[in-house]
Amino acid sequence: MTGTETMSLNRFVRAALLFALTVLVCVLSGREFLSMRAADAIYPSPGLTAARALSDYFPALKGTPGDTPVYVYAGPKDGGNVLVIGGAHPNEPAGFVTAVVLAENIRAVRGKVVIVPRANASGFTHSDPQEGSPQRFPIATASGERWFRLGSRVTNPIHQWPDPTIYVTPTGQTLAGIEARNLNRAYPGKAGGNLTEKVAYGIMELIKKERIDLGIDLHESAPEYPVINAIVFHENSADLAATAQMELQAEGFEFRLEASPPNLRGLSHREWGDAAGIRAILMETPNASHGRLKGKPSIGLIIDGKDKFYEKAARLGRLFVPFGPDGIPLRDRVARHLAGLRAILAGLTELDPGKAVEVEDLPTADRVRVEGIGAFLR
Amino acid sequence: MRIVYHLIVLYLTVHFLWYLAREKKFWKQAGIVLVLIMFLLRLFLVE
Amino acid sequence: MPEYLILLLMVGVFIVLAVPLKLPMGFAIALSALAGALAGGQGFALRHLVEGAFGFFDIILIIASAMIFMKVLQESGILDSLVAVLLKTFYRNKVLLLLAVMLLVMFPGMITGSSLAAVLSTGPLVAPVLMKLGLPRLKTAAFVAMGAILGMIAPPVNILVMIMGGGVDMPYAGLTLPLLIIVVPLAVIIALGLGLKDLKAVSADEMKALLPESVFEKNGVRLYLPLLLVLALMILQNLNVPLIRDLGLPAIFFIGSLSGLFCGRPFNFIKATQKAVEEAMPILSILAGVGMFIQVMTLTGARGWAVMTFLSLPPALLYASIGVSLPLFGGVSAFGSASVLGVPFLLALINKNALITSSALSAIVGIGDLMPPAAMAARFSAQVVGERSFFKVLRYCLVPALLLLAMGIGVLLLAPLLDKVI
Ligand SMILES: [Zn+2]
Repeated sequence: MTGTETMSLNRFVRAALLFALTVLVCVLSGREFLSMRAADAIYPSPGLTAARALSDYFPALKGTPGDTPVYVYAGPKDGGNVLVIGGAHPNEPAGFVTAVVLAENIRAVRGKVVIVPRANASGFTHSDPQEGSPQRFPIATASGERWFRLGSRVTNPIHQWPDPTIYVTPTGQTLAGIEARNLNRAYPGKAGGNLTEKVAYGIMELIKKERIDLGIDLHESAPEYPVINAIVFHENSADLAATAQMELQAEGFEFRLEASPPNLRGLSHREWGDAAGIRAILMETPNASHGRLKGKPSIGLIIDGKDKFYEKAARLGRLFVPFGPDGIPLRDRVARHLAGLRAILAGLTELDPGKAVEVEDLPTADRVRVEGIGAFLR
Repeated sequence: MRIVYHLIVLYLTVHFLWYLAREKKFWKQAGIVLVLIMFLLRLFLVE
Repeated sequence: MPEYLILLLMVGVFIVLAVPLKLPMGFAIALSALAGALAGGQGFALRHLVEGAFGFFDIILIIASAMIFMKVLQESGILDSLVAVLLKTFYRNKVLLLLAVMLLVMFPGMITGSSLAAVLSTGPLVAPVLMKLGLPRLKTAAFVAMGAILGMIAPPVNILVMIMGGGVDMPYAGLTLPLLIIVVPLAVIIALGLGLKDLKAVSADEMKALLPESVFEKNGVRLYLPLLLVLALMILQNLNVPLIRDLGLPAIFFIGSLSGLFCGRPFNFIKATQKAVEEAMPILSILAGVGMFIQVMTLTGARGWAVMTFLSLPPALLYASIGVSLPLFGGVSAFGSASVLGVPFLLALINKNALITSSALSAIVGIGDLMPPAAMAARFSAQVVGERSFFKVLRYCLVPALLLLAMGIGVLLLAPLLDKVI
């Protein structure tokens, strides 16, 4: 065997070994990535009157990663119909968890409540690159710990790929390409569009077929972002938002009122109102775990909401919410969403008695803050 | 379009593998691995 | 371990591996990311490392396909033929030539928002023209790099502004004027400043001697097709034409490359791809490594520490902080810099007109494309002129980059005034 041949042999052996290493890394990391494909269980309350899927309203979603459970709670007395959406952004845990708490507790007495806890189901199956987020977080309940996935702000690229260079929303707004996978930029959706636009279209179909009167979209925003602790309202819901805000103030919750900007297209609070003509409201609570100033993005940060950098930013006056050493725990954020929901439903009853929606067993904000979220999960 | 992109990824993956086998310097081969990991995971629809 | 020590350790490991041990940069960055994960108590954090790399998967795909396209243009003789056409058209007037060539470099960046698209599509076309007319190689590379960056900033498409706007709910509208105010003067000054002294206008006979071998006679106007196809598809995807709008840059470059098979002298497509892959691999692995590095920075809290450190400087130093940190982080990724630092800075400047401030910030972020380790614009323009070390190119980018920085900071400072004028 000559020298060159030995060398080339070594080269192939090395290539083979490195290839084996590559496969090993793929298998090990791949197992973790794939672990996010299985959906967390949701156990609806006995008040549930129908369990459906988004594909029941828009069949093209059937069998796609965009299909997602829809829980219907219809009361014996006639009233209005309300849609509550969580998980439009799966990296905003309070929105999703509030929708789950709602689904696992309420019973409708008057009117109908429709809940979609994981609006962007695909977004729950992966994490945002370079954000270093944990894949899931636990909530202690009477029956043990329940784990929930912390997903990505956008649809999984495995399910919708590639991103265009720039994205033009169905209503003509120009955005960076990645926003093509952002459900809250895709309304009112497109029947023949990309997966995210199909999901948005499915939600519009649901709004039509369930004859929804009021849509509520539950979100969180980073503490350095001005629209926070806020009720964002479509102009057709200004009275409702103001009534709810007064009610909340009386209970000790400060909420900002933010009118939906008419030139910002594709968002739920804009297009639900414009395209479907329903009252539309979006609520934001402060979430340090998806902000840009966050420290270690641990499970603790998600649950306890404590972060030393945000504390410092608050001292420097860079934030739009108070942020102390106690942080803003998930419990408080879910409580805030629940208080908001309660006030909005009360406001609807007050302003439009014919469309009143009354529910029983909606956990109060106080009880959630004292007893924890887990006390209201099965 | 997903199919087109899959074909592009497949085409490039094959070339990366070929280059991995051809390259003589170990550290350069190791650099290929970093990129190859991603292409294999995308090719098999994992990430 | 405190966040800053983890970051220090990561940078230290990188320097030791890359400088005395001479490991390829991509692998050195990846190992320093691994070291950071271990020091941060995260173990091997394999999922995080791979996930971080995926943050640049789309850019990696664009680079790989653009490099193939560039190789195809060379191998098929199309590049030389087009250079000949440009020379024949412009050899008489050097001011006109410089401005036309600057616009040509900028154009793909203007319509894609990507400096890479510019360096790798029209860059290889204009570089030989400039060099043949007397512009030194390194200055030519600097010309291409700066043109690409200006193209990325120029309207109609500025993805950096889109990213920052997305973070503060500012619609992407009304930006043409502020962006033009920044870009147009710089494009003229930089083009003439870099080129006017060295470039020489030549006589028709001299020009003929400079002409590269053209395959024009054999192939005719077909030669224009690959480049025109790529540029046309880029424009059409911006006009939101169904089907084409979903193509994306990698597919566009592949279509252009395949069309090259039928438009010039015959060549081996597979071999051209292999050459392209070989040349692109260093930057591809650097990007993968940098993705891992950023993910570990975030994971260990070092990113938060860095962002907070820059944000918590006293107000008097805010502009200095912007001028330093945005380009610095841009050396890792311009898009990342716009998102991670650009948005907080935009919020810190919220009492000024966001259209103007975001335009100015995007200009400053753009400088990041010259900064190591990624140094995308400088690295590929060096490659375009056949220079191995992009650091030599950076020397000639220094003054233009400082002009860009001064323009960015100046517009930030003058924002209230400009607000009244616009
Ligand atoms: Zn959100």
